[in-house]
Amino acid sequence: MSAPLPPPSPLPQPLLQVRGLTVDYATPHGATRAVDGVSFDLGAGEVMGLAGESGSGKSTLAFAIARLHRPPAHITGGSVTLAGTDVLALTPKDLRQWRWREVSVVLQSAMNALNPVLRVSDQFRDMFRAHGITHKAEVAERSADLLRLVGISPDRLRDHPHQLSGGMRQRLVIALALALKPKLVIMDEPTTALDVVVQREILEQVADLRRRLGFSVLFITHDLALMSQFCDRVGVMLRGRLVELTTPAAIARGAGHPYTRHLWDSIPPLHPAAPVRAQPDLVMP
Amino acid sequence: MTAPVLQTEGLSMVFPAQNAHGGHKALDAVDLTLHPGRALALVGESGSGKSTCAKLLTHMLRPTSGRILFQNRDVTGLSGRRALLDYRRVVQMVFQDPFAALNPAHTVAHHLARPLALHRPDLDRAGRDAEARALLTQVELDAEALLHRFPHELSGGQRQRVNLARALAVNPAVIIADEPTSMLDVSIRLSVLDTLQRLKAERGIALLYITHDIATARYVAEETAVLFRGRVVESGPTGAVIDSPRHPYTRLLLSAVPDAGRPFDTGGSLIGRADAVRRLSEGPGNLVYVGPGHKARTVDERVAA
Repeated sequence: MSAPLPPPSPLPQPLLQVRGLTVDYATPHGATRAVDGVSFDLGAGEVMGLAGESGSGKSTLAFAIARLHRPPAHITGGSVTLAGTDVLALTPKDLRQWRWREVSVVLQSAMNALNPVLRVSDQFRDMFRAHGITHKAEVAERSADLLRLVGISPDRLRDHPHQLSGGMRQRLVIALALALKPKLVIMDEPTTALDVVVQREILEQVADLRRRLGFSVLFITHDLALMSQFCDRVGVMLRGRLVELTTPAAIARGAGHPYTRHLWDSIPPLHPAAPVRAQPDLVMP
Repeated sequence: MTAPVLQTEGLSMVFPAQNAHGGHKALDAVDLTLHPGRALALVGESGSGKSTCAKLLTHMLRPTSGRILFQNRDVTGLSGRRALLDYRRVVQMVFQDPFAALNPAHTVAHHLARPLALHRPDLDRAGRDAEARALLTQVELDAEALLHRFPHELSGGQRQRVNLARALAVNPAVIIADEPTSMLDVSIRLSVLDTLQRLKAERGIALLYITHDIATARYVAEETAVLFRGRVVESGPTGAVIDSPRHPYTRLLLSAVPDAGRPFDTGGSLIGRADAVRRLSEGPGNLVYVGPGHKARTVDERVAA
């Protein structure tokens, strides 16, 4: 089975072009292919979801796009182009400037992304300093603005991460990710550890910020229901391949790859019309 | 309905404060009732007191006030090794993390033989082996293929089924399952819940299903109680709680559940509303009947203003 061709991009000039991207993990028993010839376009200002189960390669793909993959993972084929830049050709020095200015990443565990012994203000200071912004008054002003942007009072700049709730910490990480106005924000299970109410509050806020600031989002989650509510387009990964790339409306109508249907039908509806039974395991052809 | 097997009356837990002021009230006057062959879903966000409740019911913690009744006998102050051992045999626990709950150095057979050796002295080695196979079959695993495997050779779903078989090994009256499927892939969650649902009915087990995911409650539990900051804000038949919720927090929770195919903008924004509901739900109020077996806590609208 060959990977399906991506549908025509909604915009004439896509922000991100991924072509035939292949990532292998080196193991003692030879290479294991984690991402297998994945191609897609992401438009400017678009929110695209990547769904799939554990081990499907969705996080490996996202990390490879930001060049954040580490050995034993190796990119062994394909190309990544972001706003005209050949991402795979960037030198380590270029990469340090490119990341965060062009693409930033929000991970699942906000606590692990923050330094527990630094105040919130110092987390901002370090990030700005790494990108050559050192003027004290400017750093203070931009930090306060960013906190207000995600609905946190600037008073919290003096707090340490443990003094913030889980939802606030993740909003803080999102504020840090937006600090240098990146064109693309990669979010890998950003709300999985949070309660549904907090999850919904944060994602509504991201949707609103996206409309105002115009960045694109690559949103990775195992929760296809959530993805169908938040994303313009949805991709489904299975064993390293992108087996589906479509709109939430099309999936809701009943279209799509058998594996997409299987995932969709596994979602427990809140108000089922008929009693729901578990799906038998799907054996892929 | 059959007589209750496990009940709590005014169960409360206050954790001592680390600094000077008051202490943290993790659970506040909670009344729950579990019946044989039926399930109660305890739903709430993190910090709502659901896991504290599980720890109190399994005697890992002592409540600061209130009572726990097992088959109408007060077991709140249970002490002594023998009495605790007996109680913990009949009240079994299945944990959230199927990876951490199994010893990586031992096979599936060992995990099942140990509780059998401790609690079923009537069985000899061959009897234990036969019983272990029967247990795996009951949780819909292939005993022949899996009995001598190690935990790392199993998928998450298989591991959670082994944990369930381990809990069943001692023939419990009550199983407390704390988020048993939240670490599993979505596509296998429902089938694990199906197994739980079937076993509780077949074996007459009372199930306390603890979850943050109110959408799954319907697949397991006849009744549902919603906890918020240590208090039950609504309880009753699961269908009534989900289809005609009366408390604002239950409604908020239901509107935030990912609803496949409905974009965020349809149905209105939660931002702004959520904080008002949280303030309202923390305010004073009493549980009152709003339908048959269906109770909700009254709220004081002035609090939200």
